[in-house]
Amino acid sequence: MSPDDDRIADGRLEALFALDAPPRRDAAFTTAVMERLMRRRLLEEVALLLALSVAGGVIFSILWPAVQPMLVALSQGFAPALGAVALGVCAWIILGGRLSAAPGAVS
Amino acid sequence: MILTSLDESLVAAARAGSAEAFSRLVDRHQQALRAFLRRACGDWASADDLAQEVFLTAWSRIGRLEAGASVRAWLCGIGYNKHLTARRSAARERAREAAYEADRDETVDAPPAEKLALDRAMAALPGDQRACVALCLAADFSHAEASEALAIPLGTVKSHVARGRARLLQALETRHVA
Repeated sequence: MSPDDDRIADGRLEALFALDAPPRRDAAFTTAVMERLMRRRLLEEVALLLALSVAGGVIFSILWPAVQPMLVALSQGFAPALGAVALGVCAWIILGGRLSAAPGAVS
Repeated sequence: MILTSLDESLVAAARAGSAEAFSRLVDRHQQALRAFLRRACGDWASADDLAQEVFLTAWSRIGRLEAGASVRAWLCGIGYNKHLTARRSAARERAREAAYEADRDETVDAPPAEKLALDRAMAALPGDQRACVALCLAADFSHAEASEALAIPLGTVKSHVARGRARLLQALETRHVA
């Protein structure tokens, strides 16, 4: 076979293969792939959150006998202070909003 | 070169978690991957399902893609491994072969007799040889790129392509004479 014959034969094969080539751009295929990908990511995230929730619950239930007395002691000691802080924050939010909305207030 | 650098930037963005960049990679390489798998498998529907699986695997393994490596060769390599794994089940393979002929008649409107002869000759090639021909003759892969994709030595790829090409041309000539 001469080089010209080779080129002709290769061109012939190439043309025949091209008859059933997939399209260069196929939005339906790309969308199908991305849909499956997003579904898989969602399932992985849900599985991770579920596993973390279960693990957190188990750890908390194991530690609860030790944590409970600490929480009781802390709440007795800090309850008045926390109450005052909560009231202060509420007052700041309410008054701060009114003051900033007042005529002539600098925003 | 520009295309390669575009691929590199898309891969970098996909590694950082960009689904949009990955979607563009899918769009850019689906044709080469699907064409290769269709010719390697013979069954169009299975080939397209396999191509989707390949992209899902590629998303989870994109961190392992070496810098500067050919994305389409990497994808075809994943696809070829998946195809070989699927082929190990003899029963499924027989079903695919049966579906191949049925699919061909439904999906292609009266293909030329020459094309049918080519498809039959392709189906008769050994698996590795068919894969090399599908990449180097039916697509525009270089021998080196096909060697990288299929994990076959370069010399073997060259001989597979030469033998496969000779058998395909012989089949076409035989049909012509008959």
